[in-house]
Amino acid sequence: MKNIKFVSFFLALVLCLGLLAGCGSVNYAENNTEFILGVSGPLTGSAAMYGVAVANSAQMAVEEINAAGGLNGVMFKLIATDDMHDATKVSTNYSSMLEAGMQASLGTVTTTPGLEFKNLSADDNVFFLTPSASGDKIPENPNGYQMCFADGNQGKVAADFVSANYAGKTIGVFFKSDDPYSKGIYDQFKANLDQSITIVETSFTDANTTDFSTQIDTLKACEFIFMPIYYTPASLFMTQAKDIVGKKAVYYGCDGFDGIDNIPGFDIATIPQEITMLSHFNSKATDGMAKEFIDKYVARFGQETLNQFGASAYDCVYAIYGAMKKAIDEGAEISVTISASDLCDILMAQFQGGYTLAEGVTGSNISWEASGYVNKGAIKYIIKEAN
Amino acid sequence: MEVILSTLINGLSLGGIYAMIALGYTMVYGIAKMLNFAHGDIIMVGGYVIYVSMALGNPLLAILFAVVFCVLLGMTIEKIAYKPLRGASPLAVLITAIGVSYLLQSLAQIIFGSASKMVTVYEFGMVQFLGVNVQVSALVTLGITVVVMIALTLFVKCTRLGRAMIAVSEDKGAAQLMGINVNGIITVTFAIGSALAALAGLFYLLKAPSISNTLGAMPGIKAFTAAVIGGIGSIPGAMLGGILLGVVECISYKITAIAPYTDAIEFSILIIILLVRPTGFLGKKRREKV
Repeated sequence: MKNIKFVSFFLALVLCLGLLAGCGSVNYAENNTEFILGVSGPLTGSAAMYGVAVANSAQMAVEEINAAGGLNGVMFKLIATDDMHDATKVSTNYSSMLEAGMQASLGTVTTTPGLEFKNLSADDNVFFLTPSASGDKIPENPNGYQMCFADGNQGKVAADFVSANYAGKTIGVFFKSDDPYSKGIYDQFKANLDQSITIVETSFTDANTTDFSTQIDTLKACEFIFMPIYYTPASLFMTQAKDIVGKKAVYYGCDGFDGIDNIPGFDIATIPQEITMLSHFNSKATDGMAKEFIDKYVARFGQETLNQFGASAYDCVYAIYGAMKKAIDEGAEISVTISASDLCDILMAQFQGGYTLAEGVTGSNISWEASGYVNKGAIKYIIKEAN
Repeated sequence: MEVILSTLINGLSLGGIYAMIALGYTMVYGIAKMLNFAHGDIIMVGGYVIYVSMALGNPLLAILFAVVFCVLLGMTIEKIAYKPLRGASPLAVLITAIGVSYLLQSLAQIIFGSASKMVTVYEFGMVQFLGVNVQVSALVTLGITVVVMIALTLFVKCTRLGRAMIAVSEDKGAAQLMGINVNGIITVTFAIGSALAALAGLFYLLKAPSISNTLGAMPGIKAFTAAVIGGIGSIPGAMLGGILLGVVECISYKITAIAPYTDAIEFSILIIILLVRPTGFLGKKRREKV
């Protein structure tokens, strides 16, 4: 009796596996009338500024491409889903987009949900080029690529800057110890920092923490504070620290700082300290593609959500479009009903084979390493505020 | 020395907030014998009421509105959600409380969105205190907490209503036989607890001018922990537990090596207390019905 139970359980398991295996071969795009791109990002919640910027900018790029005739007459369509920067929402978003016919993706906007997305998309062989999920592990599988600089890279660049300017001094670090984005940057920063520099570090864990008095107290004597965190806690730290931390101190953040000057109710002018960030996009650019992008974006969506995440997403859409176009020119067959997996193989061959986006908003001659990391021009230090 | 003092003051003011919330937990538990897990979210509601009524420009008026609104809300929740369950199994009440908690969070998200809102109630600035720069808001928080605590103890010990509360907490049935309106007492308890939660919401806004729909979640759990550490059902116990937890949290954040484990450390204290002294520091021993 026991044996029969075991055998039937085993058979049931095999049947279930058979069902799962069936899933992979379904082509959800077979009824598509346009190429469908998908993205999952925080359209609401504390990081909404990033997700909204990405959705807006990608939509803008899609409409521009369509207005110019699409890809050999076939139009593009963007599906944006809301993950609230919560990894548990990603799986639902991913399957709903895939079932809606998504053929290629911009992945996720932020890193934590992105770590989930990269696994899901690798299982189905779905191509993604993320505008802003900067985690080092995001492009770990061959189907994943980044348009932004990886965290390790951001940490290293920040360390180089600090090593050159603050040798022999003491600097402060404020990071979120349970966040892969924040910790990833900080670990690389620490590893690359000049030995003569002493670090005073302090951290927080709960995403709902609003009171940073202990952390501020720890860093109050520092003249340079490195903050590889997102803008919401950063703005709270700065508000509470404005009379405690020295007026000459510098707050230095990575791409998570982007948008800190656009938070409703937070007047950056009331912060006496300098705020600097590391970026591949200059939101005050006065010429080139960046300037064109800014003008178009602001005219349509306003100033509030203008940031590098959007700029990067805009480039992502053009990069995917460009790679598809190049593949067709080289003789590949890309029909409107191509399955995500087939398109993934074609795009991977392009991205691995030296495909270059000649001119983008976030740099020129943008290409990709075999690892999926982006290769592009110098990083700027944009000083947002210094008084 | 300076570091120790400033950490201690931060810890005491944070602990004051925890104590304030823990008081609500402990009073409701002591009298209604239920864990009101929606208590933390009253803090959030209080914060949002302050955020909205700050449009009038008067912080004191905004605080008054918040307290009144939370008292009414607390009484309404008790009436609609908990009263019909009087006599039901504790598990049913507990799950209802968790449901109310999610309801409040989701309602706030629908009304205000999930992005946090910035609101400055009042800027107190800094002051020199025993040779250390201290935020005045921390001292104000601590001061109000102590005053409320004393007032509450006197209220329970010296007024008819307070003594009726003690009677209900000791034996509901007997209290009812003596002519005490038990339902009325429970409603009053919820009202007091909610008023304290509204004040806790204010203290959070004084510390950091930001509010979101999940503001009350973590403080609620921490305060519950504090209430259990101090001995749930005991008013001085809630105070002691809250202060202890606040100080431990600040000290832990201050020590770099253990800072990332702060939450774990706080909850470990709870586990240790439950193992070593399940009634908490100041809790009364009760007969356990198994």
